[in-house]
Amino acid sequence: MDFDLENPLGNFHDLPCDAVPSLFLIESDHIPPPNYCQSFKASDFDISVRRDVVSLISQLSCTFDPVLPYLAINYLDRFLAHQGILQPKPWANKLLAISCFSLAAKMLKTEYSATDVQVLMNHGDGGAIFEAQTIQRMEGIVLGALQWRMRSITPFSFIPFFVNLFRLKDPALRQVLKDGASEIILKSQREIKVLEFKPSTVAASALLYASHELFPFQYPCFLRAISDCSYINKETVVQCYNVIHDITREEYESVLNINSTSDTPVNVLDEHFLSLESEKTNGTNVVTQEQDFKRRKTTDYGNNRTVPFSHFHQC
Amino acid sequence: MEMEKTGAGVAVLSAKEAFEKLEKVGEGTYGKVYRAREKATGKIVALKKTRLHEDQEGVPPTTLREVSILRMLSRDPHVVRLMDVKQGQNKEGKTVLYLVFEYMDTDLKKFIRSFRQTGQSIPPQTIKSLMYQLCKGIAFCHGHGILHRDLKPHNLLMDRKTMMLKIADLGLARAFTVPIKKYTHEILTLWYRAPEVLLGATHYSMAVDIWSVGCIFAELVTKQALFAGDSELQQLLHIFRLLGTPNEEVWPGVSKLKDWHEYPQWNPKSLSTAVPGLDELGLDLLSQMLEYEPSKRISAKKAMEHAYFNDLDKGHL
Repeated sequence: MDFDLENPLGNFHDLPCDAVPSLFLIESDHIPPPNYCQSFKASDFDISVRRDVVSLISQLSCTFDPVLPYLAINYLDRFLAHQGILQPKPWANKLLAISCFSLAAKMLKTEYSATDVQVLMNHGDGGAIFEAQTIQRMEGIVLGALQWRMRSITPFSFIPFFVNLFRLKDPALRQVLKDGASEIILKSQREIKVLEFKPSTVAASALLYASHELFPFQYPCFLRAISDCSYINKETVVQCYNVIHDITREEYESVLNINSTSDTPVNVLDEHFLSLESEKTNGTNVVTQEQDFKRRKTTDYGNNRTVPFSHFHQC
Repeated sequence: MEMEKTGAGVAVLSAKEAFEKLEKVGEGTYGKVYRAREKATGKIVALKKTRLHEDQEGVPPTTLREVSILRMLSRDPHVVRLMDVKQGQNKEGKTVLYLVFEYMDTDLKKFIRSFRQTGQSIPPQTIKSLMYQLCKGIAFCHGHGILHRDLKPHNLLMDRKTMMLKIADLGLARAFTVPIKKYTHEILTLWYRAPEVLLGATHYSMAVDIWSVGCIFAELVTKQALFAGDSELQQLLHIFRLLGTPNEEVWPGVSKLKDWHEYPQWNPKSLSTAVPGLDELGLDLLSQMLEYEPSKRISAKKAMEHAYFNDLDKGHL
């Protein structure tokens, strides 16, 4: 048995659209159920804790292929949808982050050092070292919750298929488009709202967004190609496109914000921080403001995948 | 204790408690196969038990990948269904994995043998139905970018009553194939192996499975293996005797393959000499499955559309 895990449609570059209905039929098995987003929206706490775990996974994965953290975060969301809310205990969330990372690394045949993982997980505090057996048991729990459906169908699985529909002849241009869409997909995953959409919809929307930025004159042709695909619901793609647009715009604006040195999108912490600016004269608020700034900085640090490994030791 | 805090306290019935083992029906490199009954439902299943070769890494990556693929493929009616995966511990405290498959009462190898023993031919419409199901199941696997690479009658399971056919022995499940030593008169995997594999090609394509499908097709008609070699060289010579010794003209690139040598030069014979009793449409489909050049071999999906299947009632397949 042989396959390319990240690119299961890779053999179909020259086949027509209707040759690959299979992935469209089963992709819903590999995302959290629709009510997952609703349950998060009900709780700011859960949103911030999810973001923290996502940040932990990103730290673990910063030197690896970006598909690895994507897969690990997919496992996280599917696990939470199955098992319920996150725990307030930092050590439990770290264990979950390590387990999802480890399972994703195994699926992608990625070698990693367990020692490095432990060092990373303890850089912030004097937390417990997890024994191998503990991680293994947690892995077993995640596997059971996900029913061993670990070969997730992600948006990356659909990109070659859609790019093929666009009929771009130049391999270099195809690669630029794929890379642009992949970057958008990775960024979007940080936000809960994208989880409402199926992977194929996210892939189509990300490609359209990237093509609009990179090839504006050809954009109408690409849009028509997507619309003509019988496995895609055009209205849903438009909705997803708008969500991606909002996320990407937020990130762009945050770069321009002189109070922020990060490239993360505006989030609840930033909004809280900005609201405190107007009450700057209050001494108590100044102290709170400082604490929030430090916390946000830590979070931002984890989201910046380009930070060299050695920088983590300085924390 | 710590696990309960992460919501892991839910009790899960262990495999031993959930199933009653009825009989051992097979044994392989990695473990044993049992016919078993699920106590809760009374359903008969095939229980495949394997010890995980753990070290510091917990579930081995290979096991994880292959079970995941089986879970994905189990949706198709022509792939044997992996119903559940359960982790347990054996008496020595080692982790054991139980794969719970739907149970099928026979396989294509036994089915063909039963006709050979009675001297009867398999009815043409039965052959057509089985072949259509096989192409459909393989098209499903290939549609997921997954090759089987070891198709043979023994791992095509059948339900005798419904005449449904299902592909088995994908990935980890393959580990449960009965060891070759018990069939000293037969080298199972060689007979269905594509010529490019025999000649040392390292880059497989979906075409290797189509070649196997073609060999199985012929065997359904004649009840004998089409190419029954007992070594890799003999396997190649069997193929060349019927289809002609390939050259650069009929198969560009063949002489560059790693294990290519000089071979006796045979001219191709008509397939009808080897597969008497198959009609013209069937011979045409078979010839497209046995194309030398892998890229020219028919795909499973295209095979399903071939005129040979036109008069088959596909409604229930």
